[in-house]
Amino acid sequence: MPVDRRLLINIDWVLVGACLVLSAIGVATIISATHAGRGLGLEVKQIYWTLIGIVALLVSVTLDYRRLTDRALVLYVFIVAALIYVLVLGPRIQGTRRWILLGPVQFQPSEFAKLVAALLLAKVFAESKRETLGVRDILGPGTTVAVLVLLIAAEPDLGTAFCMLPPFLAVAFLAGLRPKAIAIIAGALIFFGGLGWQFALKDYQKNRIYTFLDPALDPRGAGYQKIQSQIAVGSGGLSGKGYKNGSQSQLGYLPARHTDFIFSVLAEEMGFLGVTAVLGLYMLVLWRSLETARVARDRVGAFLAAAITAGLAFQVVYNVAMVAGLVPVKGLPLPFMSYGGSSVIYSFLAVGLILNVRMRRFAN
Amino acid sequence: MRIYEDLRGLQGRLAIIQWVMVGLMGLLVVNFWQLQVLRGKYYRNLAENNRIRPVPIPAPRGLLFDRNGRVLVDNRPSFNVVLTTEQTDDLDWSVKRLSGLLQIAPAAIRDKLSQKKGPQFRAVVVKPDASEQDVATIEARRLEQPEASVDPVPLRSYPLGQGAAHVLGRVGEITERQLESEAYAGIEAGVTVGHAGVEAEHNRLLMGKDGLRRVVVNSRGVEVAEAERQPPVEGPSVSLTLDTKLQQALEEAMAGRPGSAVAIDPRNGEILAMLSLPSYDPNEFAKGIEPAAWTELSKDPLTPLMNRVIQGQYSPGSSFKILMSLAALQEGVITPQTTFNCPGYLNIYNTTFRCHKVEGHGTLDLRHAIALSCNVYFYNVGVRLGIERIARYARLLGFSRPSGVDLPSETSGLMPDPDWKRKVYKDKWYPSETVSISIGQGGVLATPLQMARVAAAVANGGRLVKPHLIKAVAGVPVPEPPAVDLGFHSSVIEGVKAGMIAVVAEGTGRRAQLNGITVAGKTGSAQVVTHARLEQDRKAHALQPHGWFICFAPAEKPTIAMAVLVEHGTAGGQSAAPVAGQVLSRYFGVPLAIPPAPAPEQDTPLPSPLSPRAAH
Repeated sequence: MPVDRRLLINIDWVLVGACLVLSAIGVATIISATHAGRGLGLEVKQIYWTLIGIVALLVSVTLDYRRLTDRALVLYVFIVAALIYVLVLGPRIQGTRRWILLGPVQFQPSEFAKLVAALLLAKVFAESKRETLGVRDILGPGTTVAVLVLLIAAEPDLGTAFCMLPPFLAVAFLAGLRPKAIAIIAGALIFFGGLGWQFALKDYQKNRIYTFLDPALDPRGAGYQKIQSQIAVGSGGLSGKGYKNGSQSQLGYLPARHTDFIFSVLAEEMGFLGVTAVLGLYMLVLWRSLETARVARDRVGAFLAAAITAGLAFQVVYNVAMVAGLVPVKGLPLPFMSYGGSSVIYSFLAVGLILNVRMRRFAN
Repeated sequence: MRIYEDLRGLQGRLAIIQWVMVGLMGLLVVNFWQLQVLRGKYYRNLAENNRIRPVPIPAPRGLLFDRNGRVLVDNRPSFNVVLTTEQTDDLDWSVKRLSGLLQIAPAAIRDKLSQKKGPQFRAVVVKPDASEQDVATIEARRLEQPEASVDPVPLRSYPLGQGAAHVLGRVGEITERQLESEAYAGIEAGVTVGHAGVEAEHNRLLMGKDGLRRVVVNSRGVEVAEAERQPPVEGPSVSLTLDTKLQQALEEAMAGRPGSAVAIDPRNGEILAMLSLPSYDPNEFAKGIEPAAWTELSKDPLTPLMNRVIQGQYSPGSSFKILMSLAALQEGVITPQTTFNCPGYLNIYNTTFRCHKVEGHGTLDLRHAIALSCNVYFYNVGVRLGIERIARYARLLGFSRPSGVDLPSETSGLMPDPDWKRKVYKDKWYPSETVSISIGQGGVLATPLQMARVAAAVANGGRLVKPHLIKAVAGVPVPEPPAVDLGFHSSVIEGVKAGMIAVVAEGTGRRAQLNGITVAGKTGSAQVVTHARLEQDRKAHALQPHGWFICFAPAEKPTIAMAVLVEHGTAGGQSAAPVAGQVLSRYFGVPLAIPPAPAPEQDTPLPSPLSPRAAH
């Protein structure tokens, strides 16, 4: 599809630039985290993923977001089918069924489910023209999202499943959810959360939460990651131990140091200054994304931008809080920086959709 | 014309979301400030503790030499195969594989792992003192099985083996009891310490000071670099007073019979040789004794782990007559010329006390009474002295208390007296008991070392020496502990000495006679059961009395004093005296006067058929 030249002028280059800088910092940190160990050459793969991500971004800006939201239901059916396929026929990797293998490429449909959920939420809520919304008004979209949450939680991948909630709440809130309804939703979440704790959580998941509350319970088991990550972060100090010089990262005390805990490596080697700089970049990305929602041409666009931003923001905040030992360890990658194809492509697609909304704020 | 939706209502809510996000980010930054800047030092310490692990370098224990510079205890290089359980993901696989490589049952390995003590990453010894082949096998598999490794350790070795096990002692991992005791304060679990003999008594001295390596390790505990090294300080070499040749002569002369023997220098109390049988091989302990072998040793009714020289308490029998003679002469109740008539028995206090010679010795003086070990003579002496004076002299000569030798767990023996009887039996002392005591029966108990001290006191003119084993530490002589002058008149000593010379020259101890060297001695037989019980079963070995011989030589200018005890050896003149003779013959390099002929003399005492306590 040919792209209108005028649209390119409206691309938010600051946003794109910030994302690319974050990706570059990610690659550099991956090099530091893996140069001494087995994962040699991962940074090259990550660069490939980033390039693919940029292509995906370019493709996603060419399609008018309204064409996408209009087809959200179809995409939703596809993604539900993919998730069911993964659960039933997907390969079992480290005790979980999260992957679809396509030849040499493997990807997690749950990453794309986050985008589909955002499209669907934007469309459904934009069509409801009421001033304010009650609980009854959000039951429909709530159920559709809940289906995704349950399918992903069953893989099991609680972290990604949780990522569905912030976009839902953000859009519902923007669409005029009444305070009373917010209270009811909070109550329901607590109630179902309790039920889930009782019946749905696997023992290893419960243990993770127990040891989060008291890591000394099992310092070499589930509490190990949290303790070691905190040590890495804390020992980084103000200015860090220097690139490729963090003892926690280099000697292998940090688990998953090039994926979920990559921020921990950054914090150890670059210190508080590095942490502040990178968090500043993320803040920039999120702020610009929400600005897009403010200037969007229509409710669908505003909701879509807000939903995607909420999803990204949740992932960033949760991952960084996890690295600091503030929240239980969940397998949640840091957008742009963590190693992994699905995560990188998701990050760029997400930003692509936001750019899409911004570019077309004046178009008809 | 463009139609814009009215999004003004959204702006407020979007702003709320925007500021919530800023707030969350701000909280994160504040938290990182706390974590990294305010508590940075704390976490840097934790990271260092992660990264740096102290690894002790065991200091080689000090070597032990004999008085002539011969090696008594050595350290030889050896290799332990060790397993670090934290370095394997699949312990079962590791154990199975090691068991195959080393030919040890998996259960045995698991047993050792389950006894693991000490901090994380402390390796467990799976096979001590591994063979060269084992070492090569493990080293070759370093990459596929990094959790198994070879640890070079200095291994204590005892060239004399069983021959000097009790005096030198043994080493092994520190026990729970030692960990709690004062003497071992500051020593960590898993460390090798001395367990008996000189090794235990002088453990602190011999241990030296362990070194320390501070190594950089990765998360699997694998060493990647060394940050710092403090070399260990080896324990000092210690010269003992022992004489290897004499020790070996003693071992040969005892010929494996249960019993014990000790030789000291009467001039200064240096212990020249010390043997206790049955014995054990301390080399087995050095590399970590197998539980089964340990159980066998500790449950053996013949108590091979006990050092009989300082822990065996025997009734001294007729060798006690030396002490009686010293006391009687010093107190003036007899002179060397005093005679008594021995008709073969003494009737006194309504009891008949027998001599071992049924037809009697006739009239004899002190010299002959000692030489022939006449019981009746000493019954009379005992009656004249009374129990209080006998007990006083016994204590003076070192009975009832440890000699203070530098060895652990010495016992004190027992010298009964009226006070003791009142306390222990709540009963008064009967005069007939004094009669039994006079010939070394009736509850008197002494260790062979205590008896050797008595012989040495006669030999050196009446001084009580303190037996000791350390001659020099790192080449610096250790001052000798002073001997105590007991205040005996020289005539007293000469009188007793004359009797002891006669014992060997013409009396019960002739089988200790040497050509060219005058030996002075005294035989003894310590009854194990009552005479009546022995009559029922003359041949039962376990009922035979223990044979004693105490002696010194050369009589004119003594350089060695000995006590020999052969358990169930019957008469001391037959069992113990030949041992002493053989040893002295080797020591002085002169032949025995009477080679291997059986001596006709018997000195088995035939005391009252009633026990002292029941006597009236």
